[in-house]
Amino acid sequence: MKTKYRSKKGAERASLVAIYAVLIIISIIWLIPFLLLIILSFRGETVGMSADYIFPKQWSFNNYVKLFTETQFLRWYGNTLLVSVVVTIVQTIIILATSYALSRLRFKLRKPLMNLMLVLGMFPGFLSMTAVYFVLKEINLTQNLFGLILVYTASSAMQYYICKGFFDTIPKSLDEAARIDGASRHTVFFKVILPLAKPIIIYTVLQAFIAPWGEYMFSSFVMLGDPDHFTVAVGMKSWLDSSQLMAEGYFSIFCAAAVIVSIPITALFIWLQRYYVEGITGGSVKG
Amino acid sequence: MNLEYLKMSPFEKFWYNFKAFFKRLPHRFAAFFKAIPQKLKKLWLAFAGIFVNLGEAATKGDWKTRTSFAVMGFGLLCRKQYLRGILYLFFEVLFILYMVFFGWKYLSKMGSLGEQAVVKGIDPITGLETYTYYDNSLLILLYSLLTIFIIAAFVYMWYHSVKGSYLTQQFAEARLKLPTTKDDIHSYADKNYHKTLLSIPMLGLVIFTILPIFFMIFIAFTNYDKAHMPPAQLFQWTGFENFVNVFGGGVSANSKVFAFTFTEVLLWTVVWAFFATFTNYVLGMIVAILINKKGVKCKKLWRTILVMTIAIPQFVSLMFMSQVLADQGLLNNLLLKWGWIDKPVPFLTDGTLARVVIIIVNMWIGIPYTMLICTGILMNIPADLYESARMDGAGPVRAYMKITLPYMLHVTTPYLITQFIGNLNNFNVIFLLSGGNPPLDMSGIPTGAGKTDLLITWLYKLTVSDSEYGIASVIGIITFVIVAVLSLLLYNRSKSVKNEEEFM
Amino acid sequence: MADVSLTHIYKVYPNGTKAVNDFNMQIRDKEFIVFVGPSGCGKSTTLRMIAGLEDISAGELKIGDLIVNDMEPKDRDIAMVFQNYALYPHMTVYENIAFGLRLRKLPKDEIHRKVCEAAEILGITEYLNKKPKEMSGGQRQRVALGRAIVREPKVMLLDEPLSNLDAKLRTQMRAEIGKLHARLKTTFIYVTHDQVEAMTMGTRIVVMKDGFVQQIDTPKNLYNYPGNKFVAGFIGTPQMNFFEGTLLKKGDNVLIKFEYTDAQITVPYSLLYKAKPSYLDGQKVVYIGLRPEDISLAPEDVKNNKAVVKVVVSHKEDLGSETLVYGDINPDGDGYVESSTRIIIKDNSGRDLQAGDVVEAALNIERVHLFDKETEESVLPRVPEYNYLDCEVKKGKLKFLGAEVELPEAVQTDDLKGELLLPTNAVTLGGNLQAELVSCEEINGVYLLSLTLGGKRLYAVSHEAVEKKSVGIGIDFKKITVTADGETKISPMPELNCFDCKFVKQKTREEVEVKGKLKKKKVVRFGFAAHDAFFEASDEMSQKIFAALGIKGAHTTALRMECDAYHLAVSENGIAAEALETLDYGTEKFLKCKVGENTVYVKTDTDYSGNICLLPDFEHIGIVEIEREIKII
Repeated sequence: MKTKYRSKKGAERASLVAIYAVLIIISIIWLIPFLLLIILSFRGETVGMSADYIFPKQWSFNNYVKLFTETQFLRWYGNTLLVSVVVTIVQTIIILATSYALSRLRFKLRKPLMNLMLVLGMFPGFLSMTAVYFVLKEINLTQNLFGLILVYTASSAMQYYICKGFFDTIPKSLDEAARIDGASRHTVFFKVILPLAKPIIIYTVLQAFIAPWGEYMFSSFVMLGDPDHFTVAVGMKSWLDSSQLMAEGYFSIFCAAAVIVSIPITALFIWLQRYYVEGITGGSVKG
Repeated sequence: MNLEYLKMSPFEKFWYNFKAFFKRLPHRFAAFFKAIPQKLKKLWLAFAGIFVNLGEAATKGDWKTRTSFAVMGFGLLCRKQYLRGILYLFFEVLFILYMVFFGWKYLSKMGSLGEQAVVKGIDPITGLETYTYYDNSLLILLYSLLTIFIIAAFVYMWYHSVKGSYLTQQFAEARLKLPTTKDDIHSYADKNYHKTLLSIPMLGLVIFTILPIFFMIFIAFTNYDKAHMPPAQLFQWTGFENFVNVFGGGVSANSKVFAFTFTEVLLWTVVWAFFATFTNYVLGMIVAILINKKGVKCKKLWRTILVMTIAIPQFVSLMFMSQVLADQGLLNNLLLKWGWIDKPVPFLTDGTLARVVIIIVNMWIGIPYTMLICTGILMNIPADLYESARMDGAGPVRAYMKITLPYMLHVTTPYLITQFIGNLNNFNVIFLLSGGNPPLDMSGIPTGAGKTDLLITWLYKLTVSDSEYGIASVIGIITFVIVAVLSLLLYNRSKSVKNEEEFM
Repeated sequence: MADVSLTHIYKVYPNGTKAVNDFNMQIRDKEFIVFVGPSGCGKSTTLRMIAGLEDISAGELKIGDLIVNDMEPKDRDIAMVFQNYALYPHMTVYENIAFGLRLRKLPKDEIHRKVCEAAEILGITEYLNKKPKEMSGGQRQRVALGRAIVREPKVMLLDEPLSNLDAKLRTQMRAEIGKLHARLKTTFIYVTHDQVEAMTMGTRIVVMKDGFVQQIDTPKNLYNYPGNKFVAGFIGTPQMNFFEGTLLKKGDNVLIKFEYTDAQITVPYSLLYKAKPSYLDGQKVVYIGLRPEDISLAPEDVKNNKAVVKVVVSHKEDLGSETLVYGDINPDGDGYVESSTRIIIKDNSGRDLQAGDVVEAALNIERVHLFDKETEESVLPRVPEYNYLDCEVKKGKLKFLGAEVELPEAVQTDDLKGELLLPTNAVTLGGNLQAELVSCEEINGVYLLSLTLGGKRLYAVSHEAVEKKSVGIGIDFKKITVTADGETKISPMPELNCFDCKFVKQKTREEVEVKGKLKKKKVVRFGFAAHDAFFEASDEMSQKIFAALGIKGAHTTALRMECDAYHLAVSENGIAAEALETLDYGTEKFLKCKVGENTVYVKTDTDYSGNICLLPDFEHIGIVEIEREIKII
């Protein structure tokens, strides 16, 4: 009896060891590119694309200094931050409103509307870019951050899906109780549903905030040829596309920029991880 | 359900279902087509209902209702429905102003898309060439469409104004209580709250999504390309010419190339979407299970390490990877220096290798995401399921196959479908990593597309670099049809989407 | 603090399923009403309609004096307690209770006072600062109750509030809700699927099944006088025993033969007087229902009772104070499966029984219930509908129970010997037949008189109590049926006349006095068009029609107008009819007319012939939507 017990424990320990090994390997694979990115950003010497070593021969903060003094990076960063903040606010409001309407209110066009948005979501977005561009041009918003904000937020209703799924898990009897208590649907939304939707609000905010930092397609189109209004993605891509800059060692500056861009978002993300998961998996609210 | 089915092995069950699916297929098609006349009839009835309502309002309405046919909201205003009445009237005035000063100008030219693009002249004073621009086909098309949208909205409002006027008349006659303006305002926070919530999101959707999509569809029927670029040139309606070209039926040599490229790109797109989705899904789930295993310590640490990839903007990591993996990139340089290879490995320049590398890099990006979602769901699997499985003598592998996997599949089907569709249109990974390269040739003739191009990145090139707008629109439409059909099929088959909460 | 009245309430879903059918009930102030029934019977739907959470398809719902059909829940002045408590998880108990008051913008101090008071009543003062999830189920339900009572609603609605609690807590909370009701003095409507809850709490109980109300009565009456087999089986644990059997009347005795077994008993007819005689033919199979507590194994009962059957004991459940004995009256039956020979006996005799023992069980036939096998309706009604009598017609005279009455002209027939179907409400007081009064009991507002005429039992219903020993009775001939040799010789006059009609709008130009001057003005009138005649509807009627059918549907839906013979008059204008003949029932005369396809009867004093016009009395008509058979007025 005793030996059997021990052998079981042994097997368990062996499997744990194996798991740790796998996890460590995975972690290394996942961490290497980041470490690389950080290390390369401290490279002091100017090498073109032909560097064949990892650790800089000269550690220095020069790239960071250059980044803020010689390039337009700070401006781009500000642009992106502004866009992100406004998009976050507007998009969150739109998604929450749409999701509540589709989840809780019953009206004639509800189902058709949901199907319509599902189908529209399958359209390759940028094909409509030409038209969007001319619409923006007509209201004088090309090469303009607010034009970009408009493009990002205008269709946010289509991202109702996950948020509505979350709302669906909140028991209907809460709405009913509130309505009997004397609340209108508006009050139900603000006093009952929203306070319970914290995870999904954080999820939505996070998604909305991060998206403009990584979006390239629309921003390159709207800001075509106007470096003053680039977002970080467009600006940094423009470095990589220019072989002249690359030869001047802009790759190291690129790495530095990448680090600067990543830090706040990563921090935000790690901090709010829990809500993010709860948001997507639809944490159930028990009354 | 027959009892025989229950004793079958999983493979037999699959085969049974497979056969049954195809056996039922003709029947389903028949049912589908049988339902069409009924649906048409329903549609027709709804349509006819509109005219019946209008007719009734015209014949049985009093003069106030009849005046509403011309002056929107009149009947409502007469019966103290001020809020709605004023809104309707205001809308009508706006509409008339729009049509007179803007809409009509463009709409009238929609048939020809403009006659005179530009007139060259010589400036009499400087002697330089001057250009006077007249018609811009692009703007004509865009604004005509906008005008049509606005007309449709107007007709809708007009119909409702007439209907509303007649209804208020009936209410007044029946001596039923009519809502006061205050009631109306309150109703927008309660009974009509959906209108309050949805009006702005829907307006954005119409202007920035639906209108452009219609615009794109119309472009597919024109010859808008390099040779017909407004404002210097006009473009014209060409009917189905672009469609014929894409499918290889065109007269020009280009047409064959398009057809070839299209098939190649489409094939790779589907292959990519499949692998990108399933590698991520399966491996992400396994990682999640490993981390969540009882006894593994520092769960949060492992998770955070992986989660960092989601947090770091995708474009940063993708562009960084593209640099590292380039022919003269860091990785090749290192390998050369260490003498592991003689010449650079064409990570992103050899067709097949590039495809594999892209899928691997995508795994690196996507696995943490799946892991995160799976973690959430794994924690929700009731523990007694595992306990009863252990009682029945199931080992970890069996428990995984019989409990974890089915449960996960059940819960994550919608996510899986969304991922698949997202991957079909995954612009970022391809564009930023390989840019679609290496180039794709058709027996020596360059096609303009690359071997790793998806439909969407190819489209980008067609529009942004090649200005082949007409062709691009056709491909866009086809892409849409494929994606829509696939996803609708998948969506309809997954039960979790079907029974929302309607039957509770 | 209000009456609730439900009139012809229906819930019809878009796909046509009727969740609630013709629900009629007057709930008086301060009553404790329990809706009970198996799941899916429509009880919750009805409650939710009262709350305003579901639309009412048709019918009229009044709370107090207000019609609330189209009112939002918040304006109905009701409160509701939900099965899953529905407490707001993000608010403390205090905030939960105060929520409704805050929305109603009460002053802060008053809210505080009320919340504290409610918490005091429910004993949750110490939890006021806790969140719901820190509390147990019982405490949460108290909070939910608190949230309801602070509002001081006119009506309290409770939707299965105790079904999430464990058995002990449930019993405790049951008592507390009862106490609360006594203290608040407001109307309670309580939904449950648990008959014990219903029986212990309700002042009146509504038993529902498949969307139909089965019976509305006090707990005691439900137990003693179930109206059909469903109610009989639903109320009481263990369930009532149902045996299939036939009844054969033999002189003054009735022979009860049980199906699927040889068992049979003979009981005196006097115990089954109320049974419908057509079931006493020894052919028709009925359900014989007997509660386990009405069957005894005690030797002295067996000795004194003639109705004794042999029971094979299969197993028993010892409950301490009493024993449930399961057995079968069929020697081959197994007593486990519910069948028509299985018998459950509540035994207090303390006898030690073993499986396989054969014992004698005494059936208390005084408390037997009989149900039709098909309709499952009681055939031993509390208020019998008919008297079934043998009769003879000779020279225009009807002889029954030794009495003899002259048949009026309208119901003359040839000489015959046959059966007389005499409705209990066709026996009128104040006639010249002398009958002896045996008893007079009040049942749901009417008085059932047991009389003897010629030494035989005769039932009559009356609206007032009768105390005299000897009463004179008469017969309302328009309600009787006489059959002979399987043929109907005299048939009753239909009680309701039907006309097809539509709800229409009429526009006329009329002279109307406006500020003392006569002016021509367009006037819109609504009314019913029946067979080319137009009757203006009162505003109240129009509102009801519009409420039920919508402003558009009101004019397109086919309707039926119902009206009895007394509220239809021959007049100068109205529905065109052709007078066929005058029926003379002795005391009253009726005119038989033809309207379209239908035959209608009108109370009249003079003879008419040829074309006449009929005018219904609008105070007493009913309007029915034909397609869905929904009664609107």
